[in-house]
Amino acid sequence: MKLREFAYSRSGDKGDIVNLCVFVYDDDNWEVLRRELTVEKVRDKFGSLVDGEITRYELPGTKGLNFVMTEALGGGVSMSLRTDPHGKSYQSLILEIDIDADEEIKPHLG
Amino acid sequence: MTSRSISIGSGSAYSTDRLDWAQELADSGLVDYMGFDCLAERTMALAQVRRLDDETTGHDQRIPELMRRFAGFLRRGGKMVGNFGAANPAAAADDVLRGLKLNGITGVRVGVIHGDDVLDHVLDQDLELPEMGVTAQAITAKVVSANAYIGADPIVELLDEGAQFILGGRIADPSLYVGPIAYEMGWALDDWEKMGTATLVAHLLECGTHATGGNYVDPPYRVLDDIVHLGFPLAHVNEDELIITKLEGTGGAVDIGTMKTQLAYEIHDPAAYLTPDSTADFSHVWVEEVDPNRVRVGGASGRPRPDTLKVLVGVDQGWKVVTEISYGGAGCVERAQLAAEVVAKRLEPHQSGIDEIRYDLHGMSALFDGQLPGGDPAEVRLRIAARCDDRETADAVAFEGQFLWMGPAGGGGVTTQMAPAIGVTPALLPRKDVKLITEVIEA
Repeated sequence: MKLREFAYSRSGDKGDIVNLCVFVYDDDNWEVLRRELTVEKVRDKFGSLVDGEITRYELPGTKGLNFVMTEALGGGVSMSLRTDPHGKSYQSLILEIDIDADEEIKPHLG
Repeated sequence: MTSRSISIGSGSAYSTDRLDWAQELADSGLVDYMGFDCLAERTMALAQVRRLDDETTGHDQRIPELMRRFAGFLRRGGKMVGNFGAANPAAAADDVLRGLKLNGITGVRVGVIHGDDVLDHVLDQDLELPEMGVTAQAITAKVVSANAYIGADPIVELLDEGAQFILGGRIADPSLYVGPIAYEMGWALDDWEKMGTATLVAHLLECGTHATGGNYVDPPYRVLDDIVHLGFPLAHVNEDELIITKLEGTGGAVDIGTMKTQLAYEIHDPAAYLTPDSTADFSHVWVEEVDPNRVRVGGASGRPRPDTLKVLVGVDQGWKVVTEISYGGAGCVERAQLAAEVVAKRLEPHQSGIDEIRYDLHGMSALFDGQLPGGDPAEVRLRIAARCDDRETADAVAFEGQFLWMGPAGGGGVTTQMAPAIGVTPALLPRKDVKLITEVIEA
């Protein structure tokens, strides 16, 4: 199923770096998120949007992941020619990632 | 002796944030302090450009409105801290003093922080600009500004001197709140554990309605009541607990979800959130809902603050031009693509002056570079965006965008925007090189 069915996200920008946090609605899905939402999957979904590195951090206290992507905004908000130079819309793209573990996941909406 | 506590509200998260909802919070009597962040990364550089044009400007334009709206709060003894100074703290102080007089407020001490402008240091020390891959002196003529992110120290100093309204230039967003919290709680600025805790509260407040449902809802998965009229967040801090809430009767929510997304907003390593005040560790922060729209947070810790301060350097990048046109109906994508090809061909004589140019199709590939597949849309909007070395080249791009009136067929709704392109890029300066000066003016 899509990540959007059991998790939510927000993106933020600093210079040409974007961070994308992802939290699960239901704490029971935390271990699946941790196991399945890898840097490789994120890199694959973002493709040409990110030229630099992607690093994954964990927030065990709030059961969340934080992906930090460098060279991800076409030069940063002040120089970028992109339609969304802040990368605000990235929070929607990450939720499009397919997670192949339907039998283990409790979806947010029944 | 009663135990120490502070109630502090968020008043602004960027240079044109709405002050009406912030005023509601100030007038509620729930808070003793209001923090105002008025600067995004680019705002500071644009403010410097305004000041270069006219040395009496470069500060927050909202001060007259601010003084009118918060006159009642100040009369009741409320304290305000903000980076209203932007590129010109002295001019901001003049506006504040004028506003106090105009609104008949007397006896307010205004604290002013000078010294975040470090342009000379950046050039003299030839600082590295890692995101641009050059050092400052390699592009001296293009460097228009450099401001260091300054911390809570001068705020605490000014509160100690009785200041009720404090302003400065590039005060770091969280420091606007860390200062008052440290002062009222009696927390030492080198008690890193406490600074990590104060930074947590600050971080949850500094983005205003971002913590109460702004940039959050995603129906049908995330739905909140009344997002038409969100409340600004506030915090109650004492030695036992940290509570985040919002004004009763306002929309949105302060709940587990809005808190978690704000917790990680614009954070890189959650175990090492670098600010001028500490290296805060949010990795083990917990959030607990105690009542509807009332959460308790905790679990933050901290380590010593960095020895360097982050500096944002403003760089003249020529001109930025954006021109758009829409195509609809059968074959609209093909006609829009053809239009892009035609413009690219027509701009060939101007190529040397174009630093970067991109052609996007809104409705197809503008946000995600085509990473999400989709079917044929009913309409698309071609967007041509370019950064050019000079105005003449930018004008040529705008001209070619507008000339698309003449085909391919059926293009309509041309718009064009043109503006000087000021880039901002980070650098690091040793803390000891930033000499801050505080001043108290009796109004």
